[in-house]
Amino acid sequence: MNTLVFCCVALPFIVALVLYFTQLDRTRKLLVPAAVAVMALAAVIMGSNGAFRLEADSFCGIPLDSLFSLLDLLLLLYILGLGWKLGSRTVMGMTALQLVGLLYLKFVLADGAAPITAFAPDGLSLIMVIIISVVGGLITIYGLGYMDIHEEHLHLRVSRKPRFFAIIFCFLGAMNGLVLSNNLSWMFFFWEVTTLCSYLLISHDQTQEANANAYRALWMNVLGGLAFVSAMLFVQKSLGTLSTEIVLQKMTAMDVKSTAMLLPFAFFCLAAFTKSAQVPFESWLCGAMVAPTPVSALLHSATMVKAGTYLLLRMAPAFADTTMSTIVALFGAFTFVGTCILAVSQSNAKKILAYSTIANLGLIIACVGINTAASMMAATTIIIYHSVSKGLLFMCVGAIEQRIGSRDIEDMRGLYSKMPRTAIITAIGIFTMMLPPFGMLIGKWMAIEAIARATQAMTPIIFFIALGSAFTVLFWARWAGILVSSANLHERPAHGNPKATVMFALRSLCGLAIVFSFFSPMVLKTFVEPSVAGVYARLGLKGEGFIPGASLTSGAGYFWIYLLFILLGLGAWVAWKVARKVPNGAHTQPYFSGLAQEQAGQIGFKGPMNAFEPVRLSNFYLSQYFGEGTITRAIDIISTAFLIVLVGGLL
Amino acid sequence: MLSILSAIGGLILSPLVGGLLTGVDRRVTARLQSRLGPPLLQPFYDVLKLFGKEAYVTNAWLVFSAYMTLISSALALFIFFMGGDLLLLFFVLTVGAVFQVVGALCVPSPYSNIGAQRELLLMLAYEPILILVFVGFAMCTGSFSIEAVFAQDQPLLLKMPLLFLALGYALTIKLRKSPFDISASHHGHQELVKGVQTEYSGPFLGIIEVAHWLDLILILGLCAMFWHTSVIGMATLVVASLFTEILIDNVTARLTWQWMVQKRSLLLGMGLALVNLLWLYVA
Amino acid sequence: MGFLDKMIKQSRLKSPWIVHFDCGSCNGCDIEVLACLTPIYDVERFGVVNAGNPKHADVLLVTGTVNHRNRHVLKQIYDQMPSPKAVVSIGACNLSGGVFKDTYNVLNGAYNIIPVDVFVPGCPPKPEAIIDGVVEALAVLKAKMGMGPMPEATFMPGDEDGTPAGARDEQAPVAEGDKSQQNAG
Repeated sequence: MNTLVFCCVALPFIVALVLYFTQLDRTRKLLVPAAVAVMALAAVIMGSNGAFRLEADSFCGIPLDSLFSLLDLLLLLYILGLGWKLGSRTVMGMTALQLVGLLYLKFVLADGAAPITAFAPDGLSLIMVIIISVVGGLITIYGLGYMDIHEEHLHLRVSRKPRFFAIIFCFLGAMNGLVLSNNLSWMFFFWEVTTLCSYLLISHDQTQEANANAYRALWMNVLGGLAFVSAMLFVQKSLGTLSTEIVLQKMTAMDVKSTAMLLPFAFFCLAAFTKSAQVPFESWLCGAMVAPTPVSALLHSATMVKAGTYLLLRMAPAFADTTMSTIVALFGAFTFVGTCILAVSQSNAKKILAYSTIANLGLIIACVGINTAASMMAATTIIIYHSVSKGLLFMCVGAIEQRIGSRDIEDMRGLYSKMPRTAIITAIGIFTMMLPPFGMLIGKWMAIEAIARATQAMTPIIFFIALGSAFTVLFWARWAGILVSSANLHERPAHGNPKATVMFALRSLCGLAIVFSFFSPMVLKTFVEPSVAGVYARLGLKGEGFIPGASLTSGAGYFWIYLLFILLGLGAWVAWKVARKVPNGAHTQPYFSGLAQEQAGQIGFKGPMNAFEPVRLSNFYLSQYFGEGTITRAIDIISTAFLIVLVGGLL
Repeated sequence: MLSILSAIGGLILSPLVGGLLTGVDRRVTARLQSRLGPPLLQPFYDVLKLFGKEAYVTNAWLVFSAYMTLISSALALFIFFMGGDLLLLFFVLTVGAVFQVVGALCVPSPYSNIGAQRELLLMLAYEPILILVFVGFAMCTGSFSIEAVFAQDQPLLLKMPLLFLALGYALTIKLRKSPFDISASHHGHQELVKGVQTEYSGPFLGIIEVAHWLDLILILGLCAMFWHTSVIGMATLVVASLFTEILIDNVTARLTWQWMVQKRSLLLGMGLALVNLLWLYVA
Repeated sequence: MGFLDKMIKQSRLKSPWIVHFDCGSCNGCDIEVLACLTPIYDVERFGVVNAGNPKHADVLLVTGTVNHRNRHVLKQIYDQMPSPKAVVSIGACNLSGGVFKDTYNVLNGAYNIIPVDVFVPGCPPKPEAIIDGVVEALAVLKAKMGMGPMPEATFMPGDEDGTPAGARDEQAPVAEGDKSQQNAG
């Protein structure tokens, strides 16, 4: 077990150091897949062993607690230095406050505290480690091919790839550490490492836009870090420990949770909201899309932003059955509907994906706020399948962008004739996000079922979710349709020559998405159900809302999912076969009132003065109703009001 | 085993009943317009004729989409007859609707593209209402499964009258009737030629038509569930809903999408649903 | 599949969907065509639906004078109709150019561009005549499917020679020279 944890947490850091000094491409292309394979294997073995507890007092002779405290301080000093370099008083001020808080915590409050179990992952942590290592690993492999072309496009003479991959591996190690840690201050260290990595990676290209957006990400996440430190301070003061396990045990043992007890959790919520880019903090995530695509795929959809929801999911039993929980749920639902509406008005593919990510995170937070066993299961399911599908979609968009030079979905019209395999993989990715029988939809199904069974404030939440869900269909369906459209009729798709690593990563993740979805009942039974049931059993909570053996995880539930998968799969196969058989002679031009014409393979019509008019098509973006300019302000104001109520209500 | 067989049997009968109901629809519409109207079996003649047409295709993806639409409509109906989960049924319906749009978008024709965009707006209008209606079901029966409805001894209409009205909005949109037929109006009416269905021709249009019949049976089945205690009650509800739809179709004009989404269907429908849910919640 | 085949063939006769194209007329014939769809004449009794989209239609009703500009449109609409299909030429202008016969831009009659099955003379023909023409087109379709005899053309006295109806079975004369660019500028 020791080795496995080492492989997942410490090994990436060592590999990062090595990669920082690796200049040769060939060495890097051997080292990265090897390291990824080791990590992924370790994660899967660890996951299949089930929940465990690992006491780790020292590492190579150094007492771990002091090591982490030292690292915490060094990290904060580094960020302070960054703030100085950027000339930002906000960042400097917040980091200084964090330093003070941390020092106070270490030397005044926690002096002489009992030793805390180092790692105590349950099913949730284990599945997250698997996702981080496997999905994150595939994205890193994808990055190998991607960055080659990226630097080619930028005409860089001195390659910045060593730095890039080093930071990525630091990040992977930090994420693994974050979800495995039981000690809150260690979790904080990993949390801030991810903030730093995010800053460094967003500003990777060193353009003005990149630097500006990286700065915004930095100060918002540092704000979250400050909230985290405050939460830790309060927790240590009121509960006397920084062990997540013991915190939860003590909180759930209380019959009545006073506002003083709940205050740290409000701060945890705040930290999670900034990390997960909920409104009103969504601008950092949308701005982070200037980063190279592997960064967007890895940090800003599959893993880092999940850290916030992971934290909340972990802490959820502590504030169950409180008004605060209801406010969190309402807030999550509001984010969901707000960002879904914003996504409709976007034509930039990465922005659509960004808003969709924020929306799904909002859905997860809404489930967390509902705080029943059924909703926790739903939240976990969504976390799992969203990471897989979103990572896939981001990678596809990156590959498409490098080929056609644009990330606007309007330019992706007729992509099937230029990049058939990528277009199909992207279409499959989109379908895994919004259609049954795929896992993401199973998660959404469970979420709606859980919300309908909740007791508090169910009606506005379900209203938001229903509305938002309809908006998601809008922007996904039209993107999928555009991908398979053809402006050049009757053209046999021409295969380009994409990079091997890119195609490998795309295909694997696509296959993984489908297979993982097919085995969703098994995934649920092995990881999700035991995790949630375990939490409830350990903490002696009443499994309210948990219908053991009902809904999805019962025999009836399995039957439906497998049946649907098989029937729909069969249907799709039959439809595909029939579509392939359409003879070439049966092709005809679209209806243009009798004026259709083709010129140089482009379809159009005979316009005024008999001139050829190529057809010009566009989506309804409806930006005067759903546009960023119109509604972002309103959404930000309302969400800030929510946050004020959340925290202020407890003060 | 028996339930699967009867569900499959129901599935086989549904296109026949659906086509017949569509024929009745056209006949009643005609009578409301002071004319005679086509024979009752007309929709069958239409679909058979369409299957016999030469297959002209603009983009092979259109063929794929047409088949997927039929398959998902059939699957949704199958789930309904098996007494399965309402939410799952809803999501499977979405598959069909999405593929109809994808098929329309894959052709570079302005008519089908705008039709597809409008179809998406239509989906935006009816999907939240359907979800809320199903949540209403869950609140009354304690579960999302259709079997649970039959375990109740009182008709659900008593507890969910406003939700039934909200379902009426969804029904109007699904049946492609005025005032909400901006995407592809039914039979003879045109809107942007034939909107989302413009480029589907011959056998593929026939497939879409059969899928439409299956959707009709499904939605009427949902209406019937509001009075599950007596067969006469069910029949009354279904006949009344159908007749009201035809009447509304003939007396209203088409609305623009802004009216539909903002004022009429979405906000009003959701408002009704919301009020009913709150009432159920409090009671 | 003989039974299915027979059912499909029967259904073709019971469900003729029309697309109506006006080449460039005074709209007199068009008004009469649309009058057929009104409750008084009610062609929906026969299963006729105005599909308005050649891809959905079986019978093409053409009215108006065919000239060098709209011949391409007419041809394309005819080509985009999947077979089996039939064409009904309505009104004097469409049969032979009518009062505009032999003018500088007019091609005398739609039969020069597309194969026409039924000619309905009149200026404008009454709705009853148009309905009669559609029914005749169905009989032609029936004959083409081998289910009945080809209907005989009804000539007026003195019409036998040189009428488009008489020339139906022969190769339709193609208009010479493409004058569509004449006024294109």
